[in-house]
Amino acid sequence: MRRIRSQSKVISIKAIIAQLGMALGAVIMLAPIAWMLSTSLKHESAVLSAVPHWIPNPPTLENYISLFTQTKDFPVFRWLANSIFVSSSVTFLVLLVTSCAAYAFARLEFKGRECLFMVVIATMIIPSQVVLIPVFLIVQKLGWFNSYFGLIVPGLASGFGVFLLRQFFLTIPVEFEEAAYMDGASPISIYSRIVLPLAKPALATLAIFTFIGSWNDFAWPLIITNDISLRTLPIGIMIFQGRYTQEFGLTMAAAGVCTIPIIIAFLVFQRRITEGIAMTGLKG
Amino acid sequence: MKAWNRNKYAAGFLIPYFSLFAVFVVAPIVYGFFISLHKWYILSPHPTFVGFANYRAALKDDLFRIALLRTGYFVLMVVPIGNALSLLLAVSLNQGYRGTTIYKVCYYLPVLTSVSVVAIVWRWLLSSEFGIVNYYLRLLGLRSINWLSDTKTAMPSIALLSIWWGAGGNMLVYLAGLKNIPRELLEAAEIDGASPGQRFRSVTIPLLRPTILFCLVMSVIASSQVFGQTYILTGGGPYYSTLTVILYMYQQGFGLYQLGYGAAVGYLLFAVVLVFTLLQFKLLPFRRL
Repeated sequence: MRRIRSQSKVISIKAIIAQLGMALGAVIMLAPIAWMLSTSLKHESAVLSAVPHWIPNPPTLENYISLFTQTKDFPVFRWLANSIFVSSSVTFLVLLVTSCAAYAFARLEFKGRECLFMVVIATMIIPSQVVLIPVFLIVQKLGWFNSYFGLIVPGLASGFGVFLLRQFFLTIPVEFEEAAYMDGASPISIYSRIVLPLAKPALATLAIFTFIGSWNDFAWPLIITNDISLRTLPIGIMIFQGRYTQEFGLTMAAAGVCTIPIIIAFLVFQRRITEGIAMTGLKG
Repeated sequence: MKAWNRNKYAAGFLIPYFSLFAVFVVAPIVYGFFISLHKWYILSPHPTFVGFANYRAALKDDLFRIALLRTGYFVLMVVPIGNALSLLLAVSLNQGYRGTTIYKVCYYLPVLTSVSVVAIVWRWLLSSEFGIVNYYLRLLGLRSINWLSDTKTAMPSIALLSIWWGAGGNMLVYLAGLKNIPRELLEAAEIDGASPGQRFRSVTIPLLRPTILFCLVMSVIASSQVFGQTYILTGGGPYYSTLTVILYMYQQGFGLYQLGYGAAVGYLLFAVVLVFTLLQFKLLPFRRL
């Protein structure tokens, strides 16, 4: 009995040390984001104080207000709307296009199926930055430079999406589809009425990853647009901070506008994201 | 389901994806190589064929050599330190302590930010005069550092904020890998008297090997593409100390309109990364993918 008790004491001391370490890690990881939000809520005179205050006293929204009202050179509302429109369109279209292809790979038999799938997987290794110049020229030839088409369409051929959804479709028992087939349903109605509803968890995971990736994308929207009213938030706020290099309250508010919507979306769908990683088949 | 093995149904499902795939994934790979064989100004309608002249010029170009070395320096800092941190965080989350979900969210939050947010926030944190990092250094009695404007510290600073930005992503992958290690194996080792350290070395690490290799390969590929951080924070300076290859490609292609030369720079980087990726596969055998 005594030995067991002392052992559990050792374990609990270990647990306390581990808890402290984990908490310290959390503080360090969160500090930059917390400091961004804190600075964005400070009055201009409080931003550059000699001693940093983590809690703004008094907090003020004036940075956010002036960010959105200085709309002449910097249409922040427009950037926000652009980001929402582009990311939503990309997400919707990626789900549509990749789920069709993934369904064919998982369920339909056709010549060269395995080979074609391997090609999709192999191209995932090619980094998108390396082909920035040829994609740019192709999109320019299509007449999509400086347009929403240019922002949205080149990102739709997601190999990751096809891979993730195919893996998930393969786990759905084929009996559901067979029953529908016996009743005379076509592949299209089986795909849309049976497979897609059953694949909701995988579709949700892909949707979240795609949305976040599109929202935060930097290099592509940087080169494919040059009109200030067509910029997405990440590009817009970078241009903005280039003008207001020393006004940290304002630039932190700009960074906050780009970050807060994503953090909220993440907290809502948090479980889906962490489960999604396990679902991608990265089980070794 | 056998009655459907007619290609026409499959074609209907595949055509939307594969038309996009052909135009925006396959064509650029081929077209990019074609571009790299030309003197190709963005504004001139007639590119001239020059063979491998762009590649030869790049290999003789001092700035390209500097960019390769600086990128290598960045990768050598970010990949080992970043992966060690990710693994440490994942192992601590896998102990089943109270509050694990909250910690997981905290560690993952930086991944959700755009690179421009990362750059804007860290410029403020690392500001020489008013930055909070230097404030705490002074509080500890240390001298403040000109993080981004000193040639010695600029690249380590970029690496520091990149590690902060990316650690949570690999952490989730490592965590998924750890969850797949059968408990019985660890318990058996414990009964045999293995210490926690021994269990980690002799059971966890070998079984985690495929995950480790996956994360290392992906980190090398991703970090060798570093662009946004250096583009926004330093523009490659001071004195080219943070000039990275993709940044140089961007400057050549979109700054000086030398698209042919830029494309050649991109392909050379891809070749180098490919060699290192294959080397990693050789050195750390991937048993179960």
